[in-house]
Formats: sequence, C-alpha cells, structure tokens
Amino acid sequence: MPSFTLVVPSTPDEAVAALRIGSAEGSAALAGGTDLLADLEDGRVTAERVVSLRRLPWRTLDWTGTVLTIGGTLPLRRLELDPEVRAQFPALFHAVRAVGGPALRHRATLGGNLGRAAPASDLVPVLLALDAEVDLLGPAGERSLPVDRFILGARRTALAPGELIRSVRIAEPRPSCYLWQRVRPSNDISQIAVAVAYSARLEAWRVAVGGVLPRPLLVPEAAEALGGRSPTDTDLVRAADAVARRAPIVADKRASEEHRREVARTLTLRAVRAVERGGRS
Amino acid sequence: MSAQRVHLTLNGSPVDLPTVPDDERLLDSLRWRAGLKGTKEGCRTGGCGACTVLVDGESTLSCLTLTHEVEGSAVTTIEGVADDPVGRRVRDAFRRAGAVQCGYCSPGFVMALTGLLKERGTSVAMDDLLEELSSNLCRCTGYVSIVRAVRLAREANP
Repeated sequence: MPSFTLVVPSTPDEAVAALRIGSAEGSAALAGGTDLLADLEDGRVTAERVVSLRRLPWRTLDWTGTVLTIGGTLPLRRLELDPEVRAQFPALFHAVRAVGGPALRHRATLGGNLGRAAPASDLVPVLLALDAEVDLLGPAGERSLPVDRFILGARRTALAPGELIRSVRIAEPRPSCYLWQRVRPSNDISQIAVAVAYSARLEAWRVAVGGVLPRPLLVPEAAEALGGRSPTDTDLVRAADAVARRAPIVADKRASEEHRREVARTLTLRAVRAVERGGRS
Repeated sequence: MSAQRVHLTLNGSPVDLPTVPDDERLLDSLRWRAGLKGTKEGCRTGGCGACTVLVDGESTLSCLTLTHEVEGSAVTTIEGVADDPVGRRVRDAFRRAGAVQCGYCSPGFVMALTGLLKERGTSVAMDDLLEELSSNLCRCTGYVSIVRAVRLAREANP
C-alpha cells in the first residue's frame, strides 16, 4: 500500500482545488520533490495526497523591463545556466550553485525551496537581500508578499491552505554577492552565510544572514552602517560587527556560535568588497 | 491513482512498467522492476550521487524522483550509457584511468559526468567540472584517478 496518493492536475486552478480536498494537513504540493520526498520517507512530513505541479505552466523565466519573474516550478539549473541572471543578480547565481549538485538542481525549484522554508536555505537570504516578492495563487485568488513576510519561521510560511507559489519577482538588477561557510562545496548545508545587495535606485544596501534560527534574516543595522555605494573601511567594519553581534547565531552539531560569529564578520567584509569590485571575493 | 502503469523510454527502448505504486522512487523501479542493478542506492537522501541517471539527457537523482513524475521521459542508466557517444567516451575514460576502486560510486560518477559534458560541452573549465562533480561521493576516496578520468573524458575527441 503506497504511503500517499499522487494527484497530477493539469491547470493551476485544478491544483489549488486538489490541495483543498480533505484536511489541510492531508495534502502536500510536490514541485521538484528533492526536499519533500526525503521528509516524506523519514516521516518528518505526512501527507495522504501529494499534488504534483509538473503539468503547470510555471517553468518560466521572464524579463519585463528590469523586472525578473521566475516561475515557481522552474528548475534551479535553468536559473543557474542563464547568462543574464548571472550578470544581473550575481548573488542569486551564487546561492543556486550552493543548492545540492547539478543532478539535484535539474529537479529542485525556487518555489519548492521557499515553500519548504528550511532554516538553512541558501536561497532565502539572497531573496531577502534582493527584496524579492512572492506571487501566490490560492482559493481566494492572487496575492503577493515580500519574502520577509512570506517566511515566518523554521519550516513555516504565510501559505494559506490550498495556496501555491506561482512565481518570484525581483524588481531591479542589483550588484550583489552571496558567500557561505561549509565543509563541502556541493551537497552540504551552510553553517553560516551572508547575502549583500546594493540598490542604485534606493541608494541603499540590504544585508541578510542565513544559517541562523529560526529563519534567514535581514540585518538592517548592517545595511544602515554601509550607507552609500562605496562604504569606508570604518563603515564596513561597523556593518560586519552588526552582522556578527546582532544576528541570532547559535551553536549546533555543525559549528560553534563563536566560530559562526567570526565567520559571519569575515563573510560580510568579503561580500561587500566583492560587490564593489563587481565580482566574487 | 494508486498503482498505475508508467511508460518510459529506457535506454532507448519503450518500456511499460505495470502497477507502479504512487510513492515509488525511480531508483527502485529501475532496480527492482526493470532489473537494471547498475544504478546504485547510496544514501537515499540526495547526498551521495550514487543513484544518478539521465532523464531526457539531464543528470537526475533517481532516489529523489518519483517514477510517475518522469512518465513519458527518456531515462538512461549506466547499462545504456555507451549507446551515447559522450557516454561511451566517459566510460572509456574511467576504464583507461582505472578510476574504479570498489565500483559502487562509479555508475553515478559516469552518469553525472556524461550529463555535465552533454549539457555544458567539453569547453567547460576543469575547475567548474570538478566543483559540479563534488556532489558525487567516493567512499574509497579514489578521487585522484577519478579526476584523471574527468580530464581524459574532457580532452578526448568526440
């Protein structure tokens, strides 16, 4: 007897309806499945019905002016190999490369990563730094939320029962960088990670930290300390101090709190300088 | 749906797998239904790459893929890799480099490298290739000869 029933709707509306059958906890949406299937097998997630999103027309990557819209079920590998994404959003490229390996990224999706809301997600800190918006489709229609209001905690999101991530939007290209510390470059979890991005339109930085609990977070004090496009050494040290001191960094089996705070400081320094140089550290 | 038929093109031939349970992984369908034991189960959580196969030419972790999700696709396993010119070159490179110790990780490495070379061409930088292959693990730690095989496969004429 299979542990769940697989449902494969043909349209977004059918998918929303399929998720609403039975109890809210009884259904799970399957995008690439690289995170969900492991959790289903281990019993960390239970679902009677798994709703596959593979037939939905959301494997898209669109530019409208400066706005990039990434379809919720676009495989991460497509995002990674797109030269324009790499040029306009370097941090997004760095973060996608940090997820698993190529064989995993051929199936894993941005919508899946956001919807599963792992506290150690590599993509969430970058989407915070890039001020991305999440477009949702559900029983009550469409709505959009900034990533900061979409991710609520460890494995907790603002998704209502039956709601799906249709796309993720980033409004403007931003010089940016994402740096992480971990043991293996592929298929490992970042102990600590820092994403920084500069908006020329707003003349402001955004700084986010990952590998913290309960979820990746913006560090506004660090962004304020950086000020304008070319921070002085003093500003930069103040920003790095803000990340190292204020981020909710804790110890676990992967690394001590002290180590993580020290690495967070260094990653912040390197990431900002990399953005200024227009490349990676 | 609870246990329905799945149609695949498996190593170039059309295959019908009857009564595949909804929650079955492609890894298990390949090994226990199609009898293709070359694809190996390592960690079963996407961390080791031993179960890598090609789905429509793209490297894919068969342990984290539902068989029903690849309905209608072309699946290539280590048993069929030599039917593809790039796959044959990779297999021969592993043989020439002696890049096989216990052999458990080898099918995954061969499929992953075949997928990468098909996707990105032989002009892809060696550093880039090695970073991408670092998601495959060799528990014998026989990496030196595997790296030699990667170099041979990348340099060999198609």
